[in-house]
Amino acid sequence: MKKLLIFGLLIFIGVEILDVLSEVPFGEDRMKVSNFYLEKSPEVLKVSNVVTAIVVNFRGFDTLGEVTVLFLAAAGIGSILYRRRSVHTELNPKRTSTEASNIVQAGAKVLFPLIILLGAYIFVHGHLTPGGGFQGGAIIATGFLLMLISYRKFFVKHSGVTWIESIAGIVFVGLGLLGMVYGGTFLENFLPAGELNSLISGGIIGIIYIAVGFKVGAELTGVLDTLLNISQDEE
Amino acid sequence: MVIADPIYYIVLPLLTAFLLPLFGKLYKPLIGIIPGFVFLFLAYMSVILMIDIRPDNPIITKIAGWTPPFGINLVFSSFSGFIASLISIMGFLIWAYSYKFKKVGFDDSLKYFILLLLVVTGSIGIVLTGDIFNLFVFLEITGISAYALTALYRGRDGAEAAFKFLLIGAFASSMILLAIILLYTQVGTLNMAEISVRMHEVDLKIKVLIFILFFVGFGIEAEMFPLNGWVPDAYSQAPGPIAAVFAGMVAKAGIYALVRIIYLMFDLEGAFHLLLIMGVITMIIAEVVALRQEALRRMLAYSSIGQMGLIMIAFSFNTEQGVFAAIFLMFNHAIIKSLLFLTTSFLVYNTKTKLISDLDGFGKKMPLVSLLFGLGAFAIVGLPPFSGFWSKLYVLIAAANQHMEVIIALILSVSVVEIIYYFKVISRLYFRKASEEIPIQKPSLNSSIVMIVLGLIIISVGVYPDLITGLIENATTSLLNKDLYIEKILPGLAEIIN
Amino acid sequence: MQDFLTYGIYGTAIFLMLLGVYAVLVKRNLIKIVIGLSILDSGLHLLFVAIGFISGGTAPIFSPMAIESANKMVDPVPQALVLTAIVIGFGVTAVALALVIRLYRHHNTINIDEIKNLKW
Repeated sequence: MKKLLIFGLLIFIGVEILDVLSEVPFGEDRMKVSNFYLEKSPEVLKVSNVVTAIVVNFRGFDTLGEVTVLFLAAAGIGSILYRRRSVHTELNPKRTSTEASNIVQAGAKVLFPLIILLGAYIFVHGHLTPGGGFQGGAIIATGFLLMLISYRKFFVKHSGVTWIESIAGIVFVGLGLLGMVYGGTFLENFLPAGELNSLISGGIIGIIYIAVGFKVGAELTGVLDTLLNISQDEE
Repeated sequence: MVIADPIYYIVLPLLTAFLLPLFGKLYKPLIGIIPGFVFLFLAYMSVILMIDIRPDNPIITKIAGWTPPFGINLVFSSFSGFIASLISIMGFLIWAYSYKFKKVGFDDSLKYFILLLLVVTGSIGIVLTGDIFNLFVFLEITGISAYALTALYRGRDGAEAAFKFLLIGAFASSMILLAIILLYTQVGTLNMAEISVRMHEVDLKIKVLIFILFFVGFGIEAEMFPLNGWVPDAYSQAPGPIAAVFAGMVAKAGIYALVRIIYLMFDLEGAFHLLLIMGVITMIIAEVVALRQEALRRMLAYSSIGQMGLIMIAFSFNTEQGVFAAIFLMFNHAIIKSLLFLTTSFLVYNTKTKLISDLDGFGKKMPLVSLLFGLGAFAIVGLPPFSGFWSKLYVLIAAANQHMEVIIALILSVSVVEIIYYFKVISRLYFRKASEEIPIQKPSLNSSIVMIVLGLIIISVGVYPDLITGLIENATTSLLNKDLYIEKILPGLAEIIN
Repeated sequence: MQDFLTYGIYGTAIFLMLLGVYAVLVKRNLIKIVIGLSILDSGLHLLFVAIGFISGGTAPIFSPMAIESANKMVDPVPQALVLTAIVIGFGVTAVALALVIRLYRHHNTINIDEIKNLKW
């Protein structure tokens, strides 16, 4: 009965929203602010990927918040899933899962560097091609995930993760503050913009996205490692 | 590079949070000290900025060098600046209170201080930002740190309260995101000032849907009925200082966002009626439920919801007096409720059951804490000569000028209910004999000083309300003068459209 | 055709959103509730990207080829915002899963009906 009631209510809400959305035809040009971005991104910033220009420069403040959310999630998980003392003393967390087969292990070893390389390529070219720091960082984290699930003994060094994410965060904020010193506002581009469609272009945008890539990669890896180890301590 | 710039409210705590793990590796005690310096600087900066700020010269901070509406901007006006200053000063006090909070049972002070820094930053960001999507991002920063803080205690109920909080919070943010999506299809911009200008182009049907989505979403953050079931659980499971953070900052930021949406962006007449109705329901139900609570923290949480209802009622009048009273209430609620939660955290810690009935004779055992709790209780029900008296009086005057006799009667009768349940606690503290001798954990020096400072603020504002009425008057003018806000952010645009 | 696209794509997004809400409200398994939240987010993200599409538009990247062909470009803002929203959704999901692990540790169950110390 309760289910039916919820079902009916949801159908009603869905029809209402769809009714409103029918006045917003699909595929129609409704851009207002975006026209400015499409114009300025190649002209002023010399960044060919407009989405990157928006994410890192026009709305770079959102991205700072976004990076903070990831940092926060990592810190939050750490505080929620405190380790029990007895487990903490053991150096190598024991995983109860069975060892992956030889084929998986050998394959993982070959794929791991390639995945890392792909991730690095994607965040280095964030201002030229689709993708960027978040996507590249996520790909790097999948590489570590592959290693974590295929090797029982593989574990991520937590102090390394901490260093990388802290330094990447400082680079992001620090570049923003330098923008304030040289340009007048936070995150302002103070480096020469370079030439459209070359690797070194876009001033600080490329550097920030590389920092974001490192930060996201380190944070996601840290989160995966925490979740994996803690949940397997339970047995 | 200027020494006092609103951007530091966001950037400095973020930088510190990123750096804190490294400081921890260098020298452990830095983890506690560095956030204190950051909070102190922010509080000091608030004072500097608030001295110069007038309704007609808000500070607009551009980011990445793009003028609004193309870039994100921060707006430090008399209203947003007042609330941001309040939050940053409360942040410093909470830090000072919990700096040596050893006994709460988390050995991981690093995570605690990171989360505390970020919850304060998120709340200030919600208040200062001039961009609706940026507001959503800060809302999530506040939310996620609040979920993690709720589960900081290692008991079993903390995680449950946090999960409940997370579910409702995620639901709220989904509604807000949907509203932002719909809004973007209609106005093609995310800057709140430009949205306000373009709002009249939007079809009424869509406008109402967007408004309801925003209203419910921010209403959840502002503890509005009926989706406030998370409040008592989160407040009673979180560590004491964090309950004060929720009451003093997170709820304030939520109501601020709600008010910004209603006053600035939407020109719907029905919005104020809706706010009035929801405020009245929220207030009555919360206060009646508070009467039946046996656990002290839960009682305070319901009382807090009731106060938020009162603030909503005051904002719903849409008059100068009403807004003035509402902002005064926000100030008082932040200070007094924080004091109550901070004192309660010592009272509750020394009982086994956390129930009100266990507090017999604490007036003798913990004289200072009990005295300050009593002071806070007197202030929040609105007895003179404490600051709560003035804000309640102004609400009643504002209602009287609107000829809302029913509302006046309701507020007065609810105050009687408040008096009953607070006096129930006070009579336990002072007029009952302690049942057994258990060792008492005395508050540390820094915690005592913070509680005394809060008490002194309550008394001095109560005796001499002119201390802050000037600031609140400026804030009122700034909130009600929507055209000025738009003109300052988008020079020239308001005339072109109108 | 236009109507079909409008209703089809928006309908899919709304269906996903409502499916997520339904799962959150009805399911008693904590993991399924978290999955429901995730589906709700996916629906929102799909809707967000969909409203930014412009018929015949290409990806908003000024690669050498795109400059020559001088096509229209789709709205880049929703894509940038969805990126933010996805990351935020990830953060919330991760914290939710951590809480589920902790609830399981304390209660030895992930059925919400058996975890009722506080009032739901």
